[in-house]
Amino acid sequence: MRLNATNLHAGYGGVPALHGISMEIQSGEIVALVGRNGVGKTTLVKTLMGLLPVTDGELLLDDQPITNWAPSKRVRAGLRATFQEKGLFQELTVGENLRLNGFEPNAQDAVLEQFPKSLSGRQSQRAGTLSGGEQKMLAAACALKTDASLIIMDEPTEGLQPSNVEVLGDHIDNARSAGRGVLLIEQHIALANRLADRFIVVEKGRVVEASPADDPTIQTRIKKRLAI
Amino acid sequence: MEALGIELLNGLGLFATLGIVALGLGIVFGLMGVINLAHGEFVMIGAYVAYLVQDGGLNYWLAIPAAAVVLFFVGSAVEMVLIRRIYQKPELTILATFGLSIVLRQLAEILFSKNSRKVSNPIPGATDVFGITFPTYRLVLIVVATLIVVAVLLLFTKSRFGLTVRAIVANRGLAESSGIRTSVANILAFGIGAAAAGVAGVLVAPLVSVDSQIGLSYLPGAFLVVIVGGFTRLWGVVIGAAIVAAVQTGVTHYVDAVWAQIAALVLAVVMLQLSRSGSREVTI
Repeated sequence: MRLNATNLHAGYGGVPALHGISMEIQSGEIVALVGRNGVGKTTLVKTLMGLLPVTDGELLLDDQPITNWAPSKRVRAGLRATFQEKGLFQELTVGENLRLNGFEPNAQDAVLEQFPKSLSGRQSQRAGTLSGGEQKMLAAACALKTDASLIIMDEPTEGLQPSNVEVLGDHIDNARSAGRGVLLIEQHIALANRLADRFIVVEKGRVVEASPADDPTIQTRIKKRLAI
Repeated sequence: MEALGIELLNGLGLFATLGIVALGLGIVFGLMGVINLAHGEFVMIGAYVAYLVQDGGLNYWLAIPAAAVVLFFVGSAVEMVLIRRIYQKPELTILATFGLSIVLRQLAEILFSKNSRKVSNPIPGATDVFGITFPTYRLVLIVVATLIVVAVLLLFTKSRFGLTVRAIVANRGLAESSGIRTSVANILAFGIGAAAAGVAGVLVAPLVSVDSQIGLSYLPGAFLVVIVGGFTRLWGVVIGAAIVAAVQTGVTHYVDAVWAQIAALVLAVVMLQLSRSGSREVTI
């Protein structure tokens, strides 16, 4: 599966936030999208998922136009996303959140056991009462353990303990090994360096760098762009 | 003692009637946040379905599924044509549903004239309950209404569909991003809310004169129940109906019916004030 964004424009209430982003992500690769705060990364996630309307440009999924598709139709076609904030239904239980993502009660333990043991057996706990890190891991589990072909992950490691960052990294790596594509929007550069096949750098709603991870100069350019 | 027993049964009857009438409003207003001023007219349509079924020589009880089906489609059509465009815009919802209520009443007058119609009591006579003689139909209404309310509550609390509706109410964008077709779930929820109102109309029809204005007399009571029970949980309809029925029956018994209405209104105002200080967190 391949997702193409061409000259994508989007924004909030007439104020543009994306100014013509073009990019591609396909099954079997991890693309790390990096950029400073406020450059439009989360806007891009919402636009790719159909939560924000495209004001100009085109989105293709396997060459099929999906620009005007509802988010649920994109999900059924094989796209998934985890969000930086409010990635779970706070008022619902852990088990209900999993059920809404297609994991019936008899399959939930198998999902939870692959993530920190602390979530095992806590299906009846309200998701809103989990710690921030636990919520992030559960949201990631909801996306990574589905059969989606392309997964967009917006800052999945934000607020995670270092040990859990490694666990999540392994799961993302496993997703690639299983032939799935991941667009990893990440401030945690070390994780992006470990996993990415390609890098995209965004500034002010535009792609300013796009290189394979084995480009010998990409790390220097990214550090310069992010002022690390 | 016998007078108290009669009041108790009257209170139960009022509880059942309020509960079944307010149930649909609880779904549409409480869960979906749509202030539906045409809810009373859905009750009216249900009452006319009961009239048509009986007038056509069919068994009265067939009117319950008939009204549920008719009102489900009416409610679904209203959601698709009218409500879908104005979610999250309460002022437009009020105007649109107020207009719809006028249209539905006028249609009823065109089809059935302004004259009231009579739905015959399907179970005439009285039954002895612990030494108290009480109309049999009212007893059956208590049982049937309770069963329907419990069934709908179970649908929204225990089923996959209920979970889907709760997810949409909690976070529509995230629900869509989880693959839930929110537009379809909205149609179903609105249709079920309207169907519940239609069934309520069938059940109350033998107790009243059926005319185009019948819905107006049930709408305020339904809103009182939803407000007293709390907007954000469907079980609140049962609690609200119980409280409003107890207050109205008690005050009617000890003072009079006018003060009973005033007491229920004061109670609703107090609950509104209390709810304003709380968060809008939706449970079922």
